[in-house]
Amino acid sequence: MLEDPLLLARLQFALTAGTHYMFVALTLGLAPFILFGQLRATLARDEARMRAVRFWGGLYLVNYGMGILSGLVMELQLATNWAGLNDMFGYAFSAPLAVETMAAFFVESTFLGLWIFGWDRMGRWSHLACFLVVTATAYASAYWVLVANGFLKNPVGFEIRDGEAVLTDSGALLTNPSTLLAFGHATTGALLLGGLVVAAVSAYHLARGHDPDGMFRRGITSGLTVTAAAVMPVVAFGGTQYALFGNEPPTSGRSLSATEIARVEEDYGGGAAHAVGEVGHVLMTLCWTAIAGVAAAGLVLWLVNRLHRWRWFHWMLVFSPFLPYIASLGGWAFRETGRQPWTVTHHLTTADAMTEMSPAMAVLSFSLFTVAFAVLAAVTYWLLVRFARRGPEGGPLAPRPEEPDSDPQLPVHRF
Amino acid sequence: MEIAAVVLLAGLVVGYFVLAGCDIGLGMLLPHLARTPGERRRLVSAVAPYFLGTEVWLVGAVGVVAGLFPALKHEVIVAQWPVFVAILAGWLWRDAGLWLRPRADNTVWRGTWDVAITAGSWTLALGWGLVVGGLLSGGRPLSPFALACAVTVVALFALRGAAFGAERLVPADRPEPAATAGGNAAESADVAAGATRHLARGAAMALLFTALTAAFSTGAPEGRPVAAAAVAAGLALVLGVTSGLWGPRLSRHTSALAMAAPPVAVALAVELPVVAAPQGTLTLVGYALAPLVPVMILGQVWLYRMLRQPAASSGFFA
Ligand code: HDD
Ligand code: HEM
Ligand code: HEM
Repeated sequence: MLEDPLLLARLQFALTAGTHYMFVALTLGLAPFILFGQLRATLARDEARMRAVRFWGGLYLVNYGMGILSGLVMELQLATNWAGLNDMFGYAFSAPLAVETMAAFFVESTFLGLWIFGWDRMGRWSHLACFLVVTATAYASAYWVLVANGFLKNPVGFEIRDGEAVLTDSGALLTNPSTLLAFGHATTGALLLGGLVVAAVSAYHLARGHDPDGMFRRGITSGLTVTAAAVMPVVAFGGTQYALFGNEPPTSGRSLSATEIARVEEDYGGGAAHAVGEVGHVLMTLCWTAIAGVAAAGLVLWLVNRLHRWRWFHWMLVFSPFLPYIASLGGWAFRETGRQPWTVTHHLTTADAMTEMSPAMAVLSFSLFTVAFAVLAAVTYWLLVRFARRGPEGGPLAPRPEEPDSDPQLPVHRF
Repeated sequence: MEIAAVVLLAGLVVGYFVLAGCDIGLGMLLPHLARTPGERRRLVSAVAPYFLGTEVWLVGAVGVVAGLFPALKHEVIVAQWPVFVAILAGWLWRDAGLWLRPRADNTVWRGTWDVAITAGSWTLALGWGLVVGGLLSGGRPLSPFALACAVTVVALFALRGAAFGAERLVPADRPEPAATAGGNAAESADVAAGATRHLARGAAMALLFTALTAAFSTGAPEGRPVAAAAVAAGLALVLGVTSGLWGPRLSRHTSALAMAAPPVAVALAVELPVVAAPQGTLTLVGYALAPLVPVMILGQVWLYRMLRQPAASSGFFA
């Protein structure tokens, strides 16, 4: 395996993309909770609700840091490892990513910095407005990145001139069904994730009889409500995507003839990638069923007024976030492997998309980033669980008691 | 439209060097400027959340290169692949250090992330130095000239960091440093201010050495050497001012000018393949960006105004 740079590059992309998505999905899922929580706290001038916002916001930030780090690596990895894709589709595929980075991330990160810094220093409406911008741009990022990803699956809106794709129809690119359905499916899936994480953390504290300001009672109800509301849209957007399967992209035949396309697809064995995708597909549907069950049980308990009391249900909820995480990774594995052997369906094969690099370089870049990612992702999850269990008193955004600043008895570092 | 794209890209890169020079440079100087746990905490909260607003300039620049100048991407990024991998690794660890360091309170944890912040910042500065050197020398990143360029750029990063530290490291809660028990509480800030002069002299020496290698060895700038020399002369002037008695006071502005010099030199002196994207792409990106530009400017200006104050010693990043 180590002698095949292509396999390494594919595996590396899959691992970084998967890691990125694990964090990004929680960002997308948690942001609306924080936004509405902060809106209500601001409207009511309610300090108790604001403490809850600080708690969820602290988790959001710990998670967000890793989302940024992995996103940066994704972006540079696209530039360094997939030069073939850029040579041919630079003007079409990278344009939405350029908009994403320029507009969405530029604005998102800046305003998140303001939001972090603005606690206790900004007017409450300005502070709320900062988070509104953060939420809106997070969803805008997801849209633009899925424009790029949808284009790979169903390339539309361009012509090939001198071997390069030139964008001719922005409208078709922006309304690509493969983009819009994925956007609906991925964002509602992220809401399932966010809802279950909020419910799980709340359930953990309720099970231990810990409920400062009633925030965890509110958390378990709102988390389950959002989950229940998102369950059907998830399957509707997901199921509709089956209708696209097997459709030829409208641009088929422009860079390769029908015979050449057929030959590439015949030569492709499928193999392990195909099997991984199938496993992903099965896991996704199984997890959906389980989530629907959890949501239904939660609603019933709520109606009979047992939601805040039944411990066994709380402990079930504590472990429920695994379901949407597994489903999200499975869904992506299904989508991305389903496109193989193509990077851009019927135009560019994955082998041609890769940068020419020596096996040594591929191994170096692979091991460097895979190890770094494994360490950072593990540390971030450990921190998330730690802060979630600690509750609002010890959160990273909790106002800290005045501590002595430079304590001379502590050791002095010199390295 | 095409010229707008070029100006946009140049602006983003210059903006990145000038703004991110502050947090990268300060991270480089961490072991030197901050020794006690309290000083370290303040230094990290001086860098963050500032870095959130500065690295987006680079993210934006990469996006623009990818979307609008694919040929440039080949020339710059793919040609210097190992350097960019190193930059990426340095970036990753430095940011990880900034995010994670404040999350737990024990010496080993904080010490580990201090190392990540410092090493990552040095890697970033050196990496950008090598990129600048490689571009100016016409693709010979290991020639004496390119290496001398790299050393100069590293010194400029450190200078910028020291100038930033002189402002941001003043304790917010102690208006009168001398009044506190235990001596001079603004020590980090004072050390940083003092360091600007030495660093400016060091950078000037490195610049001189670069000029000598350009004159006497291979790998000297191709393209437009006169433009490169003009930028170098400007940089020498700025560094000279910073080395003087008034250096520490002026360093906030002079270090910014100095940081702008490397990307400006590359833009003026090197013939880069800036064939902008075809009309369709430019229009799409233009329409998508135009409504957001005011928001971007508002956010950046707002952030820098808030961060002009000295760093807090408590908060998310402290
Ligand atoms: C919480 C997460 C989650 C859940 C519960 C589901 N999915 Fe999903 N699915 C995703 C998260 C996801 C995803 C990670 O968001 C994907 C990857 C790309 C995309 O657009 O969404 C995805 C992709 C995806 C695709 C696109 C594959 C392709 O384009 O090749 C289909 C057809 C489905 N899903 C179908 C379903 C069905 C029928 C589900 C329920 C029974 C379902 N998904 C549950
Ligand atoms: C090729 C694929 C991708 C690339 C190149 C990419 C690139 C990036 C980059 C560079 C960042 C950090 C920017 C910053 O704030 O400094 C980021 C963050 C983010 N990405 Fe991605 N990304 C990709 C896939 C995705 C996917 C599939 C989604 C969601 C559907 C997504 C949504 C987001 C969001 C919401 C953020 C904000 C940061 C966070 O929430 O943690 N990205 N991405
Ligand atoms: C929306 C942003 C994304 C874009 C633009 C994108 C693009 C790409 C590209 C260019 C490749 C390499 C070429 C290829 O194999 O076709 C790839 C492969 C892959 N990506 Fe994505 N990707 C995105 C999101 C994701 C996410 C979130 C995952 C999560 C698991 C993922 C999983 C994979 C996998 C498993 C492969 C390898 C497929 C294989 O080689 O069999 N992708 N993707």
